[in-house]
Amino acid sequence: MARSEALRRTPLSSSLGPLGYLRHLADFWRRRDLLWHMTVRHLRGQYKQSVLGYAWAFVNPLSQMLIMSFVFSTILRVGTAGDAPYPLFLFVGLVPWLFFSSALASGTDSVTGAASLVTKVYFPREVLPTAAVLTKLVDLFFGFVILTMLMAYYGRLPEATVYWFPLLFGIHLIFVLGLTYPLAALNLYFHDVRFLVGVVLTLWFYMTPVIYPVTTVPDKYRWVFDLNPNAVLIDAYRRVILYGQEPDFKKVLVGAGIALVTFLIGYYLFKKMEAGFADSI
Amino acid sequence: MPTAFDSVEVDFRHVTKRFALREGHTLREFASAIVSRKAWTNDFFALRDVSFTIARGEIVGIIGRNGSGKSTTLKLMAGVTAPSSGEVFVGGRVSPLIELGAGFHPDLTGRENVHLNGSILGMTSREIKEQYDSIVAFAEMEEFIDTPVKRYSSGMYIRLGFAVAVHSNPEVLLVDEVLSVGDSFFQEKSLAKMHEFREKGTTIVVVSHSAPLIENFCGRAIWLERGQIVDDGPAKEVLERYTHSQHEPHLI
Repeated sequence: MARSEALRRTPLSSSLGPLGYLRHLADFWRRRDLLWHMTVRHLRGQYKQSVLGYAWAFVNPLSQMLIMSFVFSTILRVGTAGDAPYPLFLFVGLVPWLFFSSALASGTDSVTGAASLVTKVYFPREVLPTAAVLTKLVDLFFGFVILTMLMAYYGRLPEATVYWFPLLFGIHLIFVLGLTYPLAALNLYFHDVRFLVGVVLTLWFYMTPVIYPVTTVPDKYRWVFDLNPNAVLIDAYRRVILYGQEPDFKKVLVGAGIALVTFLIGYYLFKKMEAGFADSI
Repeated sequence: MPTAFDSVEVDFRHVTKRFALREGHTLREFASAIVSRKAWTNDFFALRDVSFTIARGEIVGIIGRNGSGKSTTLKLMAGVTAPSSGEVFVGGRVSPLIELGAGFHPDLTGRENVHLNGSILGMTSREIKEQYDSIVAFAEMEEFIDTPVKRYSSGMYIRLGFAVAVHSNPEVLLVDEVLSVGDSFFQEKSLAKMHEFREKGTTIVVVSHSAPLIENFCGRAIWLERGQIVDDGPAKEVLERYTHSQHEPHLI
């Protein structure tokens, strides 16, 4: 058998230079078929054996929206700093937030949950958290279906500026992946990580303008929100979908920078720890 | 034995594998180890400074008692774990026939799992489509291919896993005791498949407790004991010495 390839070092190694980094990313891209199959596997597994099936993807955001609208708009009378009715205002922020938090939580568990695979076969391990995150895109899609119906109910159309959405969401996706990688890896070594993620997500929710407009934040605390990509992006979603405004480019640029750095560092840490995965499960 | 450098398929260079045995998996245990200044981990050497090469097309059996480092050797070849020191090189696509069906998802059907498992083993979607009919026929699963695999018997599970693995066009096949599963008919069929691979020039590494399998199937055997190579040579001779030593355990 004529084969041109020379001997290759087995892919796992804890030393990682800049060239190795790029090689890993290229390797990951080559295995996109596997990423697709893994994502479908997650999806098919997620709602099987439940009577309502994918309807659950509607139930969660819808019920949260109803109860939060009642509490924050009817009881606490939180304003929206715009002309949008509160349920709409809330939902535009809530849907991406739910994506962020469920993607992070399921991504953190993804490698631990695939123990039998990780100890048997090699494939780029980042496929697992990435597939877990991509799976949540379906929930996000259903969320936006509800949002569209909700907008129709209030007699509104998405503003023309909605074309900014894919770019903004791309930033969001990079950010959540960058956070998920190191957390999924650390969760193998310390099972505390998943609980920590739960706690941090709850706190983060309140520090992100989902239930209130970011404009009500006092100026001296604003910088905290400007450095929180979730806050920046959710504010930008509201502008482009509900208010027909352009996003605040300076803030979005900072958010994109943070997201990119998070991704690069997160991926690096993941690949650094990858060599020990099979030994730590 | 390798004849020329370019025909080397697997190359272990001074490979040491150290496992850190840990008590637990929580931060509390980690913190208490730091406070009490006790070592958090206990080191255990699965392999110590092991070097060998396997030539392309060679059929090698690895023998040794439990805990001698056989499985670790296979895992290093599969690229699942990294050596603590030393280097492991592998030539081509490695397909581990280790615990078949590890990548199966219980809720997915046989058909879906063939696609999933194939892509885990490094097949492209196109390759899987081309091989699909042959995989199902080999596993004799035509009837149940659209049933979720959780309804499969363990034998069916293994048959389908084996069928995918042998159709992944491996250049190095790692076999770990799997030939002892399934009914005798399927065992014969898998053994025939293995012979087919041998004729094709696929490199095969077998880990087995079954002396006859290694003697009949492998040309060469490596005998591991406590993470080190005790003997390496023609399968028949190595097995003879190995079997001999088993009756006089104090010699080792």
